[in-house]
Amino acid sequence: MGRCSMKMIRAIVRPEKLDKVADALEEAGFVALTKLDVFGRGKQKGIRVGEMVYDNLSKTMLMIVVDDEKLEEAVKAIEESARTGNIGDGKIFVTPVEEAYTIRTGARGL
Amino acid sequence: MKEVVAIIQMNKMEATKNALDVVGFPAFTAYKAMGRGKQRGLEIVCPSDLEEPRGGSVKFLPKRMISVVVVEEFVPAVVAVITRVNRTGNIGDGRIFVSPIEESVRIRTDERGSEAVS
Repeated sequence: MGRCSMKMIRAIVRPEKLDKVADALEEAGFVALTKLDVFGRGKQKGIRVGEMVYDNLSKTMLMIVVDDEKLEEAVKAIEESARTGNIGDGKIFVTPVEEAYTIRTGARGL
Repeated sequence: MKEVVAIIQMNKMEATKNALDVVGFPAFTAYKAMGRGKQRGLEIVCPSDLEEPRGGSVKFLPKRMISVVVVEEFVPAVVAVITRVNRTGNIGDGRIFVSPIEESVRIRTDERGSEAVS
């Protein structure tokens, strides 16, 4: 197994889009995923409603690890299912993963 | 430096913490996460004496995600410890991912690189 043969995708999406994104990923063949509830803001510095500024908006972070060659496919599935066209749709970050292990078997790889 | 991200069962958290502490990696970050593996969560089969036997399913199971940043030579040790403590042989034991870390900074002292994670 070569180095950097996998990528970790961390997508920060709208919490209400989670089911749609999870279904889209499942359809594209990426069943396994981890989700975290997170809070954040983007370059718009949160949202302003009248006097109130909300700059800790609740989001869901999806974390999936895929093989290099399937990266584009997975990113596309997330993009298309999470998009509403408004600000706050989220961001996707991709980082390299060098090794992966299944704890149950100790086997390497995805 | 490498980041070892492990997604483990919630009830193994204490044991994992202790085991990592014993072998000299007391520092880590833990997250509460929900997740599923290639088994697509859990299928629940209802008892058959119900009038309408219907299985339910749980899409996401509660998990803990821990992230340990160590210098490269300790990665096999950390992976081995986490694997040993968390292996029950059942599905849902979890995954370990190892990724490179470019830089780390200890905020208190401004130490950089491997100094900051030691």
